[in-house]
Amino acid sequence: MPEAIEIQLKKGVLALCVLALLSHADSYAYEIASRLTRDIDMGEGTIYPLMRRMQSDGLVETYLVESQSGPPRKYYRLTAAGRQSLEQQKAEWAAFATAVNDIVGAAA
Amino acid sequence: MTRAEFITRLRRGLSGLPATTIADIVADHEAHFADAQAAGRPEAEVAAALGDPDRLARELRAEAGLKQWEEKKTPSNAMAAIIALIGLGAIDVMFLLPLLLGVLGTLFGFLVAVVTIFFVGGFIFAAGPLTAPPGGPITAFLTGIGLMASATFVGSLLTLVTVGVFNAVVWYARLHFRLLKPAMEQA
Repeated sequence: MPEAIEIQLKKGVLALCVLALLSHADSYAYEIASRLTRDIDMGEGTIYPLMRRMQSDGLVETYLVESQSGPPRKYYRLTAAGRQSLEQQKAEWAAFATAVNDIVGAAA
Repeated sequence: MTRAEFITRLRRGLSGLPATTIADIVADHEAHFADAQAAGRPEAEVAAALGDPDRLARELRAEAGLKQWEEKKTPSNAMAAIIALIGLGAIDVMFLLPLLLGVLGTLFGFLVAVVTIFFVGGFIFAAGPLTAPPGGPITAFLTGIGLMASATFVGSLLTLVTVGVFNAVVWYARLHFRLLKPAMEQA
């Protein structure tokens, strides 16, 4: 049961985490997936449907960068709408986290 | 699972989508394996970390199906989106499908009525004036035109309602699909 809650929480903030990562620097899917797997223990496969959805929602766009080894690499960058969504989700997350911390802290 | 097996199953799961979309998705996952290999990870471990390719394919299909419907409101895109969502479990087949069929049945009934009225109008318009109708030929002529115009009007309303119904279903399913995903990916 605690596991289930943890999964729900992670899924909820996954899009926010991806937007935040991309706000620091453009990146490619493997790099984003590795980072999220390492830090918040996400399944790697999750990233691909998520990136496609964010792309069709107009939050990110892609461009290709030539690489010395193998085919060109697909990079993602935030669009203006993506930036806007990031700011909004960041504010929501901060308010939510503060509220939960207050309750958990008061209950302890 | 090997890289080749994973890609084969993913590709099979995606069949029916536009070739460019499949190529794009496959390229994403090929790149993932290549990057992982460069990082020294064994294929089997990467495949396991990516999760079940069939499930992944279903999710990508549903996303692609919804996008196609949103871009182009054709009956075949509506059908594809609904089928993809059912495959994902985002639409409760037992509950929603009878409801949806009821609504679609009603709409279809209206469509038949509209087409019939249009043809009756056409007949009165063409043949009416020749059969010495009550009120004279002009009345029959105008009645015919009036019936056809009304049928056309109701027909376009019907189209709008149908598109609205599908939009509502897609919206509803998408809402669920986003909430459903965590539980599904876990299995």
